[in-house]
Amino acid sequence: MYDFLAESPQDRVRLCGPGVSRREFLQVGSLAAVGLSLPQYLQAKGAGIVKPADDRRSCIMIFNLGGPSHIDLWDMKPDAPSEIRGPFKPIRTKSNAFEISELLPRHAAIADKFSLVRSCHHDGAAVHDAGWQMMQTGRRFTGGIQTPHAGAVLSHLKGRRTDLPPFVVLPQLMGRGGGNLPNGQAGGFLGKAHDPFALMADPSQKNFKVPDLLPPDQIGAHRLERRRKMRDIVESSVAQFEASEDARLMDENFHAAFRIMTSEKAREAFDLTREPLKVRERYGMNRFGQCCLLARRLVESGVRFVTINTFLTVFDEITWDIHGSKPFTSIAGMKDIVCPMYDQAYSALIEDLSERGLLDDTLVANLSEFGRTPKINPAGGRDHWPQCFTAYFAGGGVKGGRVVGASDPIGGFPAERPVKPGDIVATIFHSLGLNHASHLPGPGGRPFTLTDLGTEPIRELFT
Amino acid sequence: MRAFLNLLSLLAHGRRFRGVCLLVAIPSITAQLLAGSASEPPVSFRNDIVPILSKANCNSGGCHGAMAGKGGFRLSLFGYNPEADHLAITREAQGRRVEVSQPGLSLLLTKPTTTVRHKGGKRFDVDSEDYRTLARWIAQGAPGPQAGEAELSTLVIDPGERSVRIGETLTLRVKARFSDGRERDVTRWAKFTSTDETVASVDGTGKVTVIGPGEGAISAWYSSRIVIARITSPYAAEIPDSVYAAAPRTSAFDSLVLDQLKRLHLQPSPPADDATFIRRASLDTLGRLPTPAEVRAFVDDARADKHARLADRLLSAPEYVDFWAYKWSDVLLVSGARLRPAAVKSYYGWIRNQVADNTPWDRFVRQVVTAKGSSVEEGESNFFAVHQDPESMAENVSQAFLSLSINCARCHNHPLEKWTNDQYYQFANLFSRVRAKGWGGDPRNGDGQRQLYVEASGDLIQPRTGKPQPPAPLDAPAMAMTDTRDRREVLADWLTAPSNPYFARAIANRIWAHYLGVGLVESVDDLRASNPASNERLLAALADHLVSHRFDLKSLMREILVSQTYRRSSEILPTNREDRRHYSRFFPRRLSAEVMQDAIADVTGIREQFTELTLSDGSTEKTAFYTNSPRSVQLFDASVTSYFLKTFGRNQREITCECERSNQPSLVQALHLSNGSTVNDKLSAQAGRLNRLLGEGVDADRLVTEAYSVALSRAPREAERAAFLRMFQEAGPDQRASVAEDLFWSILTSREFLFQH
Repeated sequence: MYDFLAESPQDRVRLCGPGVSRREFLQVGSLAAVGLSLPQYLQAKGAGIVKPADDRRSCIMIFNLGGPSHIDLWDMKPDAPSEIRGPFKPIRTKSNAFEISELLPRHAAIADKFSLVRSCHHDGAAVHDAGWQMMQTGRRFTGGIQTPHAGAVLSHLKGRRTDLPPFVVLPQLMGRGGGNLPNGQAGGFLGKAHDPFALMADPSQKNFKVPDLLPPDQIGAHRLERRRKMRDIVESSVAQFEASEDARLMDENFHAAFRIMTSEKAREAFDLTREPLKVRERYGMNRFGQCCLLARRLVESGVRFVTINTFLTVFDEITWDIHGSKPFTSIAGMKDIVCPMYDQAYSALIEDLSERGLLDDTLVANLSEFGRTPKINPAGGRDHWPQCFTAYFAGGGVKGGRVVGASDPIGGFPAERPVKPGDIVATIFHSLGLNHASHLPGPGGRPFTLTDLGTEPIRELFT
Repeated sequence: MRAFLNLLSLLAHGRRFRGVCLLVAIPSITAQLLAGSASEPPVSFRNDIVPILSKANCNSGGCHGAMAGKGGFRLSLFGYNPEADHLAITREAQGRRVEVSQPGLSLLLTKPTTTVRHKGGKRFDVDSEDYRTLARWIAQGAPGPQAGEAELSTLVIDPGERSVRIGETLTLRVKARFSDGRERDVTRWAKFTSTDETVASVDGTGKVTVIGPGEGAISAWYSSRIVIARITSPYAAEIPDSVYAAAPRTSAFDSLVLDQLKRLHLQPSPPADDATFIRRASLDTLGRLPTPAEVRAFVDDARADKHARLADRLLSAPEYVDFWAYKWSDVLLVSGARLRPAAVKSYYGWIRNQVADNTPWDRFVRQVVTAKGSSVEEGESNFFAVHQDPESMAENVSQAFLSLSINCARCHNHPLEKWTNDQYYQFANLFSRVRAKGWGGDPRNGDGQRQLYVEASGDLIQPRTGKPQPPAPLDAPAMAMTDTRDRREVLADWLTAPSNPYFARAIANRIWAHYLGVGLVESVDDLRASNPASNERLLAALADHLVSHRFDLKSLMREILVSQTYRRSSEILPTNREDRRHYSRFFPRRLSAEVMQDAIADVTGIREQFTELTLSDGSTEKTAFYTNSPRSVQLFDASVTSYFLKTFGRNQREITCECERSNQPSLVQALHLSNGSTVNDKLSAQAGRLNRLLGEGVDADRLVTEAYSVALSRAPREAERAAFLRMFQEAGPDQRASVAEDLFWSILTSREFLFQH
C-alpha cells in the first residue's frame, strides 16, 4: 500500500525529509502525546512542513453524510435515458463552465464562487463508513493503522490558535453507518488528544448554548481558581496514569475546559444570540443552517478546522441516502426537505464569508462518502455508488466557477482526470499550506506521509 | 481461420493496442505453449486459476470483484463463486476473454499483461508462471469447476510461531493439502496481511520484517481460508529469569501471563495495595465503590485467604445482579426504542433472573436462541422481536454469542474469515421458520404483546442459486431439509457444545476484557481467524476453565479475582512502560457512564431521577418504571433520557457491539463534570452528604478524611491533608461550607476518582 513498506527501517528514517532526524521525529511524537502544541508547530515549521505565511487559513468541511446523488445535483445527464437522467432538470448558473440541478437555485446564483470536481471515485466498499473514513483521512484503515482526520493533522501540526480548540465537529460526531467501521472523525494514530471537540447540541434549538460552558452562578472567579488549585492537590498523586492515553486525555480536556470557561472570547464564539435574527434566518432556522453559521463564527474566532455533518446517521432520518424506501430517504424527500435546507445554508455561508472578507482564508470543502447509482432502482431511488461522484470547493485560494474532471455519459465512471480520496485530502492540505508529502509520526514512530505517495492536490483549482 | 478472425476482431478494437509489434509476439508465445499443453496435467479452474486471479487482485472489491464489476467484466469477490466466474470468463464479451485455439490472444492474458490497454495496470508478466498456467488452462479448453474435484482441506503456514528481533526478517511458506491427499506449496498465491503494522510488516511474497516490539501476527489468505503466523518481537530490556521465577502465582492463569511477559521481556509490576485492590474489585464486580467500612475491613484482614473471601463476598452480593444484568442487557439490546414497555420489562426481568440464579452461560444462551411464546411472559423471546428476519437473527446470534461478525458473508465469502456465502445461508436458514404474530411495522406500536412460534415449513432462499441451502450451524454438518425439528434446537446443541471452538472463547474473552480492561482478542466483538489473541494459550485456558466448570461464569470471575495478574499495581516500571496488551501492570481506565454516575450519587448522597425515554426519532415519552430512584446500573433500558449517560458514552443498544459503548474522555465531559448539574447540584443539595456533615459540625480535618475515604477509598496522604487544611484556614470559618464543597468538587473531578486503577 505504501511504497516505503518495501524499504528497510533505515530508509524510512531517511524518508523523513531533509533536516529531520529520527530523534527529532520521536520528539514530535512524544510532544503530541502530552498535548503540547506550540513547540510542535515550531518544529514543523523548522522541518518545512508548515509554510508560515499560510497560517491564517482555516477549513470548513461540510460532510454530506448519506452520499448525495451527483446525477440529480451537480453532474446532471439531461441527454441520458430517463431511468438515468431522473426527474430533475439542469439550470444555468453564474458560471459559464457548468449547469447544476434546479433543486439548487441558490447554488446556481453563486456558482462563480465554487468549483466542481466531477471525477471523484474510490475503491473501498460501497458502505457509508468506508467512504467516511477515506474521504476525511485520505486512506482506508488497514493493519490496525488509523489515519487521522485532516482536522486532527492540522491540530497536531499547528495546535490551537486561540483559547478555542483547533478542531471542532458540528453538531456531533457521525453516528451509525451500518458498516460498523471507524468513521474517520478522530485523531487516529496522532492520538486522542487530537480528536475533535464535538458540540453535542443542536444550535437551532430555542435556548441553544454549549452545555456547561460556564460554572454555576455561585462559583465566581475566586472559587474557580480555588477549585483548580484543589484539584491540583488531588491530581499530584497519580503519576502512574501518565502511561494511559485516556488518563492523559482526561487531563488535557480539563485544561481545555478551563481555558474555555475563563475566556470570554471563546465563549462568545459559541453564542449565536449575538447574531442578528436576520442573519440567523438567512442561514435557515434548522440544525444544518445554524451549524453553518456557528462554523463561520468559530472560524472567525480562530478555530482552524470545522467539520459539519449534514446529518447524524443515515437511518430514520431524511438524508442524502435516497434508496427510495424506508428506513432511508426517497427522491421526493431529497427534493422537498434536504435540498432547500442545504441550498439555503450553503449559499448563505459562502455569501457571508465573502462579504466579511473571510472567504480567501477559509476553504469550504463539500464532500461525501460516494455518489449514487446512475440507474434509478425499482423503489424509485438510487443506491450507493463509489465509482463516480462529485465534490466541490470554495474559498481558501480556490478559483470558483470551474469544473475539474468529467464523468462518462451516465455518470458511472470518471471519464477524465480521476480523483481519489487521497487527492481530495491533499487538496485540503495544500490550501492550508501543508505539504502533503511531508511526514507524520505514525504508530511506533513510523513515519507516514500526510497522504499516500501517488496522491496530489488538485492544483487546477488554485491556478 | 478462427485465429485469423479473432485477430481481425482484436484489430477492430485496435485503438486499444499500443503497437502492432505486440501482435507479432503473441502467436509465437501461443505456439510454444500449445506444443507443451497435451502432455501437461490438467489445470483446475477452482484450484489453480481462481487463486491466480485472487493473488493478482483481479477479483478484489476495487476491481472486477466490485458489485458492478469494472469495465463490463465482473468476477465474484475473492472468487467465492467459481461457477459464475467461469461463465463470465468463458462466455461473456462474445467469448473474447478466452481464445482456446490461440490462448495468447485471450483478453484474460492480453489485459493483465497490458498487451492491450488495461485500466487496472499490469498484473503479471508474459514470462511469469501465472501467465503460463492461465495459457495452459485456456489451451486445455478452459474447463470449468468439476464436480468431485479435489478440494482444499487444510492450509498450513510455516513457521506458525517465531520470536524475531527488531530489524530481522523471516520468510513464510504456505502449504495447502487437498482432499485427494495432494500437497502443494501455495506461498506465491497466498495474500499476506499484518494484523499489527507497528510490530511487523509483510510483503506480497511472505517476507516479514519486524519493525517494533510486541506480539504481532501475519495472516495468509488462500482460497477463502486463513492461517496465522505469530511473531513475537521482544522489548529491548534484559530481565533476569529470576524475576519471573520469583513472581507469585495464585491462579493457573498467572503462569501463562508470566510466560508471555518473559518471552516479551516485560517486567511485571508489584501487587496493588489492599485499598486500591478492593476498589478495583468492587467496581469490576458490582459496578460500585466499596464503602469506607468495607475498605477498612479488607485492609485490616490479616488472613492469608482474604482475596478469596473478598471474591466470594462480591460474587454473592445483590449488586452483582444489577451490574451483570445491565451488562447482558447491552449484549441483548434491551431498549425501549425497539420494544414496548411491557416487553422491555419482561425481557430485562428474564435476564435479571438468570443472573440472580447464576444460570450457566450455555443454558442462558440455549434459552435465548430457542425462545418461544409470549413476549410479556417469556422475556427471552424478545431477542427475536428485536431481530425479525432470518438474516438478522443469524447475524446477531453469531455476534452476541460467538463474537463472530458473519455479515460480510451475506453477499460474498467473508474476506477475513473462512465463512462462505453458502455457509451464511445455511446458518440463516436455521431461523427461517421463526415467526410471530404482530411483527413488522414500527416496533413501538401496540401493547408489545407478541406470540413467537415456529412454522413446520419454509426455507430461506440463497439468492445466488435461487435455492435454499440445507440448514447448518456454521461449520457443523447440515440437517436434512426434511427434518421437522425446530432447527434452533440443533443450533443450540452445536452452539453450546463443549467442543465448539468459538462459544467458550467468546464469553471467556468478554469476561477477561471486563476485568483486565483489555481483551485477549481486541475488540471483544471481533473474534476471527485473522485477529488472533494476544496470548492464545491463556485464552484457551480461560475457555477450558469455563467448559470444565459447566459454564459457571462466577467461577471464571473468581479465578480472575484471586489471580496475581488482576492484583498487579498500575504503577509503571521503566521495563513495562510500553505494554498495552500483556498485563504486566494494571491498565487504568475511565469508569463507564453508569458506574460513574452511580459513584457520584454515592459520594454526594443524592440519587439521579429518571422520568423519560428518548426514542430513536428524537421524541420523548414519560416512563413510570423508575419512580423508586434506582441506581443507573438498575435501569432496564438504554433509551432512558440522561444527558450524563449519553455524554459519557453508554451503550445505546442499537447494534450488537460492545463498541457502541465509549469510555473515552472528552472536552464535553470535562465541562459537564466541572460546571454541570450532576456534580454541582448534588453537592449543594440539602439532603446530600456534604450538608449533613456540615450540619453535624464536623471539622475540616474530618471533612478531608471523609471525602477521601468515600470517593477514593483511601486516607489522604499527609501532604494532601495539610494542603487542604491550609485552604480551609486561609478562607476562614464563614467560608467553611464553600471550601468543603470545593474540596468534594476537586475530588469528584480528579482522575483518581474518575478512573479505576
